[in-house]
Amino acid sequence: MYSMVQAGSLGLPFIAVRGLLDSDLLKFRPDLKVEINPFNPEEEVVIAQPIRPEVAVFHALQADPWGNALTFGPRDDLMLARAARRVIVTAEEIIPQELTPRDAYPNTFLPALDVDAVVLCPGGAHPGSCGTLYGVDKDHLQEYLVSAATEESFHDYLKKYIWSTNSEEEYFRKVGWLAPGQKEKL
Amino acid sequence: MKEAHLAYTPEELMAIIISREVRNLETVGVGAASPIPAAGCLLAEQLHAPQATIIILGSKEYHPFLGGSSELHFLAQRGELDLFFLSGLQIDSLGNINLHVLGDYQAPKMRLPGAYGSAMLYYMARRVILFRTEHTRRTFVEKVDFVTAPGITSARVYRPGGPTKVVTPKAILGWDRTNKKWYLESLHPGITVADVLENTGFPLEIPSSLTITLSPTDKELQTLRTTVRAKLEKIYPEFAQQKILA
Repeated sequence: MYSMVQAGSLGLPFIAVRGLLDSDLLKFRPDLKVEINPFNPEEEVVIAQPIRPEVAVFHALQADPWGNALTFGPRDDLMLARAARRVIVTAEEIIPQELTPRDAYPNTFLPALDVDAVVLCPGGAHPGSCGTLYGVDKDHLQEYLVSAATEESFHDYLKKYIWSTNSEEEYFRKVGWLAPGQKEKL
Repeated sequence: MKEAHLAYTPEELMAIIISREVRNLETVGVGAASPIPAAGCLLAEQLHAPQATIIILGSKEYHPFLGGSSELHFLAQRGELDLFFLSGLQIDSLGNINLHVLGDYQAPKMRLPGAYGSAMLYYMARRVILFRTEHTRRTFVEKVDFVTAPGITSARVYRPGGPTKVVTPKAILGWDRTNKKWYLESLHPGITVADVLENTGFPLEIPSSLTITLSPTDKELQTLRTTVRAKLEKIYPEFAQQKILA
């Protein structure tokens, strides 16, 4: 999987990967094929198709108006962004100064070169976490998991939180946030 | 006094057994959702392997990379990972592991998130230790429903690594690479051979002289419950608080 995304990020037509031989994955995955290693006829290897998503979305701690962005912690985002044909960054904050790779550590830098659009979206990782800004909303995730069990209950979930919600503020109110990332005190 | 020393959780015992397998100076990786091996590696670092390179996915301190999890993946693919830990929803008589589905792949009774690179790591990490907290006939089966990664591969496959043993709350099962079968390597204190055989869904070779797993020593338990517990809390807070006694 990593190799397939990496192949996508490098613009390769296919990539050889270690392992996988004699596993059942090969029975069900048309994007994995067994070939003879052209440099060692004794050896069989798996050849994998690259993965090139149409769109990749990253949620950033910070972004600038040019599309440079910082995402939390050490990550594989650069590889993923390069594999994707279009890249959207949603950000907790957009700052006027230009971000450079030197601003990244210990976070990950996404260069403007690889980013197509930036959207200001504080609290945008909800119900997931965003670095040290806010943690996972376990109660909401639990509600989501329960409602995802059937079509009807999932429909109700969408109706409650998405379709009948008219603004970000309203969404945060519904999930119990006073402001983005700020949980209402119980 | 003595009884207090004998009281330990199954997770503590498994972590201590795993710590004994970690050698000084080697490169050891711990994947996602693996608190027991993480505890074992941290304990080994404190006790006998201070210069081991320990990589724990999801941690800050034990992540010597600029990138994400792909770094560990590609390090293993280069052949530079000495020891790695995998588990399985099912583990079978031929060392196959199943991390995908229960039942038919096309219409599964249960679907797991995926293989996390195990279909490469099981071949390329020099030694793979399997761990499973449930030692029953539904986990140790004759044949897995789906082979995520095989225990045995043909001679035409480059495979420097593979399974070496399974650690459970009852025993250590060793993998006999030559004869391609599992044997009872060591029985944990208080567990009988009959208990292990009853709960293992495939024939198990029983050596003529039986080895009993060395009980956790005072030093192992004490280090696990202090220094290791504190470090583990930063990576697996719930596990550290619930399974490692304070």
